[in-house]
Amino acid sequence: MTRYVLGRIAQAVIVLWAAYTLTFAILFLLPSDPMELQLAAAGVQPDSLSAEQVAAIKHQFGLDQSIWAQYWHHLSGVVRGDFGTSLTQQVPVSDLLSQRIGQTLLLSVSAAVVSLVAGSALAYLATFARWNPLRVLLTRLPALGASFPQFFVALFAIQFFSFQLGWFPATGTQGFASLIMPVLTISVLTSSVLAQVLIKSFDETLSQAYITTARAKGLSRSAVHLRHALRNAALPALTILGVIVGLTVTSSIVTETVFTRDGVGKLAQEAVLAQDVPVVLAVVTVAATIFVLVNLVVDLLYPLLDPRISHTRGRPSGRPVAVVEGATL
Amino acid sequence: MRFMKPLAATAAALLALTACGSGGSTAAGGATLKVSFWPDNPSFSCIDPFQVYWIEHRSILRNVADSLTDQDPQTGKIVPWLAQSWQISPDGRTYTFKLRDGVTFSNGKKVDAQAVADNATGWIATVKATNGAAYGASYIQGLTGAKAVDPQTVQFELSKPNSSFLQATSTTNLAITDPAEFQLSPAERCTGKAIIGSGLFVLDHYTPKVETVLTKRAGYAWGSELVANKGEAKLDRVVFNYVAEDSVRTGNLISGATDIAWPRNPFTPQDVQLIEKSGDKVEKRALPGPAYALYANTSAGKPLADASVRKALYKAIDVKTYASTIYGPDYPVVQGAFDSTTPYFKAQSAKLAYDPEGAKKLLQDAGWTEGANGFRAKNGTELKIEYPITAASPGAELLQAQLKQVGINLTLRTLTTAQQATYTTEGSYDLASTYFTRADPGALQFILNPQVANSKALAQRSATPEVIKGIQDLFAKALGTTDQKQTKQAYADLQDYLIDQGVVIPLFERLQYAGVSAKVTGFAFTSESFLRLNDVAKA
Repeated sequence: MTRYVLGRIAQAVIVLWAAYTLTFAILFLLPSDPMELQLAAAGVQPDSLSAEQVAAIKHQFGLDQSIWAQYWHHLSGVVRGDFGTSLTQQVPVSDLLSQRIGQTLLLSVSAAVVSLVAGSALAYLATFARWNPLRVLLTRLPALGASFPQFFVALFAIQFFSFQLGWFPATGTQGFASLIMPVLTISVLTSSVLAQVLIKSFDETLSQAYITTARAKGLSRSAVHLRHALRNAALPALTILGVIVGLTVTSSIVTETVFTRDGVGKLAQEAVLAQDVPVVLAVVTVAATIFVLVNLVVDLLYPLLDPRISHTRGRPSGRPVAVVEGATL
Repeated sequence: MRFMKPLAATAAALLALTACGSGGSTAAGGATLKVSFWPDNPSFSCIDPFQVYWIEHRSILRNVADSLTDQDPQTGKIVPWLAQSWQISPDGRTYTFKLRDGVTFSNGKKVDAQAVADNATGWIATVKATNGAAYGASYIQGLTGAKAVDPQTVQFELSKPNSSFLQATSTTNLAITDPAEFQLSPAERCTGKAIIGSGLFVLDHYTPKVETVLTKRAGYAWGSELVANKGEAKLDRVVFNYVAEDSVRTGNLISGATDIAWPRNPFTPQDVQLIEKSGDKVEKRALPGPAYALYANTSAGKPLADASVRKALYKAIDVKTYASTIYGPDYPVVQGAFDSTTPYFKAQSAKLAYDPEGAKKLLQDAGWTEGANGFRAKNGTELKIEYPITAASPGAELLQAQLKQVGINLTLRTLTTAQQATYTTEGSYDLASTYFTRADPGALQFILNPQVANSKALAQRSATPEVIKGIQDLFAKALGTTDQKQTKQAYADLQDYLIDQGVVIPLFERLQYAGVSAKVTGFAFTSESFLRLNDVAKA
């Protein structure tokens, strides 16, 4: 068991480091020069500066060092929680993050919870329904939900629920009401993804011998469905939970922009447009951390739900693999 | 059902969390005005009066920091504000201002001659520190310093006459602030934490890209003669937020979520209809300064180095159709390099007349012959014009269609703001659109004069060195005198010259629109079409 846990943690750290390094490399390979960008924003053309001035500015942002030195400098900073200074806002990136991460966490966690409830309920109903047309309809519904672009759902929701009906505010982060539409926008996608996986795994579980045995013993349909099938069917869904949480974080970019919510997603969008490299790097790191942590938790939960997993010696990666169909990741 | 229990608990915890978040922020009792802008400056977050060029932030600052003088939006006349009176020496190099008594900054310090003189020192230092890039640089050309003659009299010294300096003293970027702010670096001042003015509101905080909040200044009593209410504001608090989607901003106004929707680009005719139908008002005024125009890259080898092609653009672009199609039938048509509310404006409508046949002839005569695909070419090179944009828009597409009529292939290149900066610096563009707001023709220097331009790359490429010299000479003639007549003549010549040389290719007159809730009274524009809150109240 200890070996399993340690293995998972080591894996999480490696994934995190790889995500950071890859992002760093991509940002570094972009054609534009971060110093030039910042100067252009302030209205200065690099050719109007003397060589000493250029050198001083490069030194200020550490751009005069080799790529390896810069990488090491940034990485060691990140480990200490120092993400550097925003190029466009002149404030520490960690300030920007701490200012905004609360809103995004609230949005993501709410969306994940709603997705879990809605996705499970849909999958349950779809597999429990007896009338075939209803069954088909409910089974096809998640494919539809996963196909809607989020900005479309968001703009439609704003037009209809904010401007026509006046039920919820279209923008802002004030109060519970402002959270409802963004959460639903994200949940349309994520609950569909979850429902797809859960329906498939319900179908598989329900065709297994022990279910037939349970039925033969005279248990009611709902008892078989809920007590016997759900627990086993939920395993692949648990795997997908990590993906779902990741999706809620990435979805926040579109959702927060459309609903003018000042979270990390909108910060990411702003930073990418302005090529504010330290901010982009920090946002990716934070998002990757959340993703990795959730997956770690999922991995650690597995043995508790299914004791076979940690007992499979030498094959710690023996967790069930879920197939995500139609998910727009 | 066992696993539903923790779920329910999580949901409950979340509800509790959001409930905590929803309290606070609304001040008890007094009125809070909510204003929605388009997104904050993506690349340069700043709210320091001297450095910020972002129109929305200058609108905010107008209500935070007062200036020595004010400008009448109707007549363009400069009237007293913090200065009761002033004198300009016959040689145009000394400006003496007599200050009003009893004015204080919001931190209690006196607005006296020394404070004003220290501001001048601070401006000059800022220009130096930013290598002339600070946006205020073009406002204080020639200023060498200021001194306090007595506690109420301050004297500005200029190395050469600058006829637009008096107007400059009425603007937000020469607004007078507590000079203590100049001890900080230009970048630190941009955060707004040290901006202390004598205005009717106090800058509570500026959170870049999120919101800017003003609170009422108790004891304010020195509004200029251009406002009815010279005393304290009728609002307790003003919250400015930034909304990316135009339709959402308008929708927020209609649904009552915001009180003033303040777009950067003019409202669409549909938006105007929506707002008026819902009982709210649409206010509009042309922004003074250069019109929304295209500036060519005339570097050697580029298609627009050819003067005939630039001339053909005037004939090929139908500015009338542009205005009526994009912004509605009653939208004003652009008439020259400047918007019509700019002092010394001279219309150039005849030179901008739509004449596609004339354009074709010009191009034909210059050797650009029509190819099989409908586009013209010369020596095997297609007449292809690179036009970078940040988002697809009906305006850009209409322009593309109009130029296609005469055989010019306008390539719309959608870039992020960051890419666009590099693209401009590198000179990869053929046409770049820009504009600038200031109620004085001197504003164009911020675009075209390489010495004080916001983008020196764009300024340098906008014309040949001889033409740039010609522009600078005309500016020098207009500015270097105290004779109004000479100024007027020089600016008239300049406006002819800009079109004759194909430097400025105007596209549309810029109107500042504001959608104002029916609950709001006393709305007013300043001479620079910024928001003036002195008389604004909310029911």
